[in-house]
Amino acid sequence: MDADDLDMFRGSLLHAVESCRGRAATDLDAALDELGWAEALVDEPRPSIELFFEAQGAEVGRSHSLQRVVLAAGAFAPVTSDQPIASEQPISSEEAAALVLPSPGAALQPGRVVGTTVRVEGIATAALRDHAAAVVPTGDGLLTVPLDHLEVHSVVGLDPSLDLVTVRGRAELAEVDVAGTTDARLGEPGVFDWDHAVGRARVALAHELVGVARAMLDQARTHALDRVQFGRPIGQFQAVRHRLAETLVAIDAAAATLDAAWLEPSPVAASIAKASAGRAARTTARHCQQVLAGIGFTTEHPFHLYLRRALVLEELFGSERSLTRTLGEQVLATGQLPPMLAL
Amino acid sequence: MDLTEFRVVLDDWLEDHAAELAPAGSDSTLDAQMAQLSRVKQATYEAGWMRWGWPERVGGLGGSPLLRAYLGEALTSRDLVEPGIYSMTEVLAPTMIDYADPDLAATMVPRLLRGDETWCQGFSEPGTGSNLAALSCRAERTEAGWLVNGQKVWTSLAQYAQRCVLLTRTGTPESAHRGITAMFVDMDSPGITVRPIETMHGAPEFSEVFFDDVVIPYGRTLGEEGQGWAVAMDLLPFERSTALWHRAAFLERRLQQLVDAAPPGALDPARLGEAVQLLVAFRSRSRATQYRLHEGQVLGAETSIDKVLVATAEQAVFDLAEEGLARTVVLGDGAEDERWRSEFLYSRAATIYGGSAEIQRNIIARRLLDLGDDR
Repeated sequence: MDADDLDMFRGSLLHAVESCRGRAATDLDAALDELGWAEALVDEPRPSIELFFEAQGAEVGRSHSLQRVVLAAGAFAPVTSDQPIASEQPISSEEAAALVLPSPGAALQPGRVVGTTVRVEGIATAALRDHAAAVVPTGDGLLTVPLDHLEVHSVVGLDPSLDLVTVRGRAELAEVDVAGTTDARLGEPGVFDWDHAVGRARVALAHELVGVARAMLDQARTHALDRVQFGRPIGQFQAVRHRLAETLVAIDAAAATLDAAWLEPSPVAASIAKASAGRAARTTARHCQQVLAGIGFTTEHPFHLYLRRALVLEELFGSERSLTRTLGEQVLATGQLPPMLAL
Repeated sequence: MDLTEFRVVLDDWLEDHAAELAPAGSDSTLDAQMAQLSRVKQATYEAGWMRWGWPERVGGLGGSPLLRAYLGEALTSRDLVEPGIYSMTEVLAPTMIDYADPDLAATMVPRLLRGDETWCQGFSEPGTGSNLAALSCRAERTEAGWLVNGQKVWTSLAQYAQRCVLLTRTGTPESAHRGITAMFVDMDSPGITVRPIETMHGAPEFSEVFFDDVVIPYGRTLGEEGQGWAVAMDLLPFERSTALWHRAAFLERRLQQLVDAAPPGALDPARLGEAVQLLVAFRSRSRATQYRLHEGQVLGAETSIDKVLVATAEQAVFDLAEEGLARTVVLGDGAEDERWRSEFLYSRAATIYGGSAEIQRNIIARRLLDLGDDR
């Protein structure tokens, strides 16, 4: 895509996210299907992920796009970093809505095969109930587990707008299918590349966190210009200005790590981007909440929606805290810094 | 020559000449660092490397500024030069190229590139730290030329310098940024006194410079009279572009050396992980800035983000060094120990020099967030 195409694509994605505000996740899925987003995800992963997830973050939108990224990346791990995710059919939104993801704080496969049993513990969205079976990543590939073997509980939780459900249970392998047996893409057990899926999911989540954070900064900036105390806008006070400057630095730092993760993709680059975006979102939430002060503490202002979303995204596929410690432990274990971006 | 080719041939050349380029001994005094810098500049100039990325009219061989960024990275990451003193060229040469009389630039810039000369930058004054526009070093028109009286401080390498890019007040004291004129001064001019400042990190890198009735020919004016603020503002983004890429290479090397040197259990994994992340973020940000320079874009306030990120990364790396090599930093008296200690102490200034952390945040708030004036 050239610069004009990118601008148009960005505009269409933003429009889709905005027009689905307050509607079900499957509505945004459908709007994305009309735009051909799933095909673009296959052919042009970077703009598809970067532009969509930042837009979804900016509007606290919801869809099953993260699930589509996981499925596409796991099924078609590229051999080289510049190869597109896949050369075959895009992942359907139906398939994505049935996917079980790791619980907050976890990054291992939500399914585990022990002997002749598969144990499942993870999360999905309420749309899972429309399906007969859940699609469960395991160390032995992607399995479909009939829903009647699983306890599916709706949760309100920190971000009720996400309509999350917890999924837990066990089934005998004899009762389980390999996901998509009719589809050669997902046919072979063990072909699902979880590490690659996790890397792509982290990058997507990091973009979404950047989108959420930029929106929070925009809210706080507007408030700082409008709110008058002591006869002047509070944005003239250095204490306020420096908080907002600090916020922009944190967000731009996260954006820089994302740039690095796309230019030279690797699992470690993805984890650095996710951790940096999580840190940026936390820094942003803290400073912007303080600048928004009283109004930001009410539900009359949208800030709380962004704070809730940021914290949920921060915990998915590994938080800043856990990823940062793990990175340090890896460096100590190998004695080597991760490769740095070349000029 | 493009970057890919440059990288390959330069790396080969540096490998072939490793022995002759290596510092003579373990002497890490500033005198030794300056001598080493001059040696490396001369060798790389004679071999052509130092000339790439500079315009032909000042003795360069043309090509992208990316070549300069890579040369500095290659020299720094091999510990052949100290990045702070090496990168002064990146700040002062572009100013000469853009604002000096073309013949003067053609004569002088090659001397800087070849390591024949050291230049310094006379900006800060005792009463003018963050508030640069309030400077008071006075230049008056006389028949003989500008007559300069006043004092500069924090002038890096002034005691080694043959020339100085000097900011003076030529307007009224109230003229603020409108009444400033830049000039190119010979440091052996009668009336200049240099007094090095002893600093906490042990290297007398900065000096006070006194000007008593110093005469400077009008031909040495950089830009027009009263245009000094523009000269300074155009120079500052160079402090935050190529020079910072060199610094990134230095920080990466030192962090790796810290991981190598720290005793088992001495480095907290969480803090190490964060230092790595900050370095990755800064390096990626700075890389994008190098490419904007390469594309001919004019750098501006957005480089303040680069500056905040380098200071944050530098202090994270050396905070970790002080913790992980506590015994070395506290008790060690060997050359390597002294180097860790000196670099740790120097990193305390990363949020002070080159526009303090607070000034950078002011710039970000006003120019990037468009929050309006702060008063």
